[in-house]
Amino acid sequence: MSNSVNISVETTCENQIREIAYDGTELYQPPPTLSESLAKCAARIDFSKTSLDDLKKEEKSAAAAEDKEDKDNQFQESLWPWDAVRNKLKDAYTEICVLSDVISIAKDKRYLVLDPLLEDGDDTKAIVQVYSRKKALSQAAQVLLGGAERLRTAHSEQRSRNVSDFHIELLRLRQNWRLKKVSNGAIIGDLSYRTAGSKFGMSGTFEVTKAEDTLDEEGGAGTSATASAASSASSSNNGMQLKASSALRVIVPAELQGVAYIKVITQKDQEDLCTAQVNLMGHGPNITAQVGVWQKTLEFAQNVLFCKELFAQLAREAIQLQAPIPHVVIGNQIRATLLPNIQLIISLCHSTSFDSSQPAPINDHDHVLEHSLHQLLREVHYKNSHHPFPHPASAPLGPSKKRMLAGPTAADREALLDMTKTQTILEQIIAQAQHIFMRKRTQYVLDTLARDVKDPQIVSHWNAMNSPTMSCVKINIVTHGYDAIGRTSLVIHVKERSLKCICRDGRVMRLSYEPQELRDLILCQINSHQISCLVSLARCMAWTVLSNSNHLGIGKVEPLGNASSCLLASPNSDRMIAVQIRCDPQIDVKVYIARSPRQDFFPSPLVPEKFWENLGGNFKEVRFDKIEGKSFLNKMEFLMASLTSNTA
Amino acid sequence: MGVTVLQPYPLPEGKSGAHIIDHLGKRLLSLGATHAGQFLVDCETFISTPQHGTPTRAVHVLHDSEFPASTFSIIDNGTGKQVALVADAIFDLLMLKMTSTFTSKKQTKIESRGARFEYGDFVIKLGSVTMMEHFKGILIEIEYRPCITLSYCWEMIREMLQGFLGINVAKEYPTYFTTQTIMNAMGQQQLHAKQNDLYEPMDTVKQYLEHFTNYRKHVQLHGGLGSSGLSVNGPVLMPSTVVGVGMGRS
Amino acid sequence: MAISSARESLSLALNNRFLPNLEYLLQGSILDTAVEHLMHRLKGLCDNVDTSPERFHDLEVCMSLRQPTSPQPLLLRVRRALGQDAPFQMRYLGQPEVDMRRPTLVRSCMDCACTNGILDFLTEMGFRLEFEYIAKGYMFRKGRMKITVSKLIKIVPGKQQDMANEPISQSYIVELSVVAPTGQENVGEEMRVFAEQLKPLVQLEKIDYKRLGNLP
Repeated sequence: MSNSVNISVETTCENQIREIAYDGTELYQPPPTLSESLAKCAARIDFSKTSLDDLKKEEKSAAAAEDKEDKDNQFQESLWPWDAVRNKLKDAYTEICVLSDVISIAKDKRYLVLDPLLEDGDDTKAIVQVYSRKKALSQAAQVLLGGAERLRTAHSEQRSRNVSDFHIELLRLRQNWRLKKVSNGAIIGDLSYRTAGSKFGMSGTFEVTKAEDTLDEEGGAGTSATASAASSASSSNNGMQLKASSALRVIVPAELQGVAYIKVITQKDQEDLCTAQVNLMGHGPNITAQVGVWQKTLEFAQNVLFCKELFAQLAREAIQLQAPIPHVVIGNQIRATLLPNIQLIISLCHSTSFDSSQPAPINDHDHVLEHSLHQLLREVHYKNSHHPFPHPASAPLGPSKKRMLAGPTAADREALLDMTKTQTILEQIIAQAQHIFMRKRTQYVLDTLARDVKDPQIVSHWNAMNSPTMSCVKINIVTHGYDAIGRTSLVIHVKERSLKCICRDGRVMRLSYEPQELRDLILCQINSHQISCLVSLARCMAWTVLSNSNHLGIGKVEPLGNASSCLLASPNSDRMIAVQIRCDPQIDVKVYIARSPRQDFFPSPLVPEKFWENLGGNFKEVRFDKIEGKSFLNKMEFLMASLTSNTA
Repeated sequence: MGVTVLQPYPLPEGKSGAHIIDHLGKRLLSLGATHAGQFLVDCETFISTPQHGTPTRAVHVLHDSEFPASTFSIIDNGTGKQVALVADAIFDLLMLKMTSTFTSKKQTKIESRGARFEYGDFVIKLGSVTMMEHFKGILIEIEYRPCITLSYCWEMIREMLQGFLGINVAKEYPTYFTTQTIMNAMGQQQLHAKQNDLYEPMDTVKQYLEHFTNYRKHVQLHGGLGSSGLSVNGPVLMPSTVVGVGMGRS
Repeated sequence: MAISSARESLSLALNNRFLPNLEYLLQGSILDTAVEHLMHRLKGLCDNVDTSPERFHDLEVCMSLRQPTSPQPLLLRVRRALGQDAPFQMRYLGQPEVDMRRPTLVRSCMDCACTNGILDFLTEMGFRLEFEYIAKGYMFRKGRMKITVSKLIKIVPGKQQDMANEPISQSYIVELSVVAPTGQENVGEEMRVFAEQLKPLVQLEKIDYKRLGNLP
């Protein structure tokens, strides 16, 4: 070891071998304890050499010396481990003592004088210090500014090339969608509605990856001019490679790719009455511009999921519901019968390949039904996730507020049974569709009647406020110019499959969905309106009402009303007018007049005296359509007036 | 939920309860009533173990199948004060936690069960009362559903009762409604006529308790089952509404 | 078609394990100063994050009945929501069972909604007032778990409604509980996982009251 050859020495990873037995077994020395290694390290410190250079040299020599020492140690095992350190400290102490002695002697200036060796401590003037610091600072500032400039150019360069950063994109994605990192480093997102209360089984996970560099290059070439093109591209190739300048790629499962919507058609025989298309697109703010094109991809996928859930729910209910005419579920279609011959068809349309030949969005779609379907599914979601909180707080979680009250308020059996009943989405949709249909039908009947019947006028006021399954119309029947004399009004409640009519006199009539019934009712109301107005008019003109009847019982007997009639006598009772109004199939007015006594009297053997003529004469029909006047009442007024003046 | 009146039906000599119930049921059906299920009202009484210084307290726990989610309980503290409570059905299990303080008198477990009829706005229940499987009598419950104040519909209920029971029912309101004591603001008890109050389900239950207590007392008087020294609490009022005894029609 | 009595259907529910009668409970506390952070975390973790947390303000009265057969009195807690028209809730809690193998404290529990005559009723039965306090705070739910963050307020006797009543301490009590039928062992695990997520804001533990009683 002490010869001139230099060898490098490293500590072995394992412990030192203390002994090798004859059979080759190596006995290891136990590793040094903490205090032992501390002592060893302390022993290595050379207190006399403190400058950095010296230390470095020292390290080398110490390393060389170590082996020697180790050898020595084996022989000087008995020595106290801190001995070397103590000796060195002792030496140092001696030196310090001497130094302090020297200084104390030098202070006396009798035996020893200390003189400065060189005149180089002058530049510690304040102004010089300031200057040097200023210089150092300006240098540092230069470095920082240079760096900032470099960063800025790099950034602007990046922006001009429109190369987006994956992490920035990821940040934006994270702001709008649920993401999580899984164990193998992949990023998984969830676009399902489960957190909003959905219990739909289909998974809505998607994967987020970094787009390949080549795509970046392509995107860089494409640049910003293709904003719209990019979005359409993304919609067509959901989950495929995006040709947009996005550094981030989302991979959507195959079953959620494509576009989907739910089509609702109300069909009579084979003719479509109204249609509705349900999807989520176009709802909510469009944030695609601010974030990446992946936003569009995910929105489309989420829409597919929503439509599938809605359809699955409806199909399940259609099978479970016990309808008089069973609902039919075939493939992607549900058929339900609303009213005889009228069907509601709900179908799920899902196409994975986008083609421009797709039919243009239907303009005449039913917004209401569309909205209702959305709302109903959302409501189901909401109910799944929003349970009422119990009060007081110790009460159990779960039962509805009503059920919580049922015990202490002693709810009876019916009330408890009602709590368990809920309407399914399909039932509600059918009810709403039925109502929409009933409302349209009622509107149609009222409008055609108002068009066809000019006298009297039919005015209908629809209430603007209505519920999805009930609306209300008020109908006024008036004669132009005679509004003050009479007005017939009635209210019709349009429900799901029936109508309820409430007349002025308090009569309530329930009509079925057949439009003919409503038509008949309105015609009868017109009848009675005409007669009652005529009676009032006659009174105004001092004519006497001899009789009037709203239900003559002639012709077809209708449960809601019948032909009506009225018999009037002139003020001096020499003339009579008889009016009969029929309403089947349309309004038909017949007016007869009679006068007694007749002015020209020819005695005959049977009727010898003139006074017999006071008994009343034959009624002669008036050609009513030839009478002057705009309306029935107008004509009657003229007729009465002329008959009155004749007698005068 | 309407007004309910409970009417005991006097058993004529020599006829079995089942026979009468059958007869009344047939009458109701021929009137046009429809059979609508069964009903059950039961009552169990818990008596506190005697401790010196405190009077014996009795807790009556009743169930009515018309109110399936509820348990009705009435405590009688032995000094005439009654407190009524309506609670969830689980109250029964809570009572079982107190068995060391309140013991159930099994031999006084009493119930009224039978058929339930609906006739327009009326619900009629023909109940046969049994205690320990022994037939005790017939209790007829009649409810008029559209109204919740007795004074407005008593006449109608009375007419209906007379109509199908064939017995004369007194013109006065049933005693339950006329003899209730309530606590006034000063903490004193005073008589209060209930016929103008809003009717509550608790009133039905209290009527049942009143009649059940009568049946139990009857047993005691005749030295039947209650020889164990059971003290039935509170003043017991014999129903005075049954005046004309006997069948109007043969 | 014979009608079954209420008692029969109740025992049926018990035997078929419909009736939730076990409470799984974890408790902890948090200082007033830190409760905002806890609320934020709970808003993030629990259901219905879109609405503001549900507040509650209840008065709890604990009534006790001495039983001749056991030294332990029977305790019933009656709770009522102040400022809300809700039925009173009577609650029976059994002896807590602190099983080392279970992640939560488990005790039998019966909840019974009553009319407001319940306190009078219990008094007539011989129950005596043990203690009363006001609990005021927030409720959250996550699935079937109920999380309450409540401030306990001392009551000056006779002044239940008074605003002057003082809080018992400078901290909120946090309770995580599930009431479930017997035999649903996975509840505890579910709760433990949730409690993990509230650390280190609040340490939810199963607190053994019997041991607490022995503390000086």
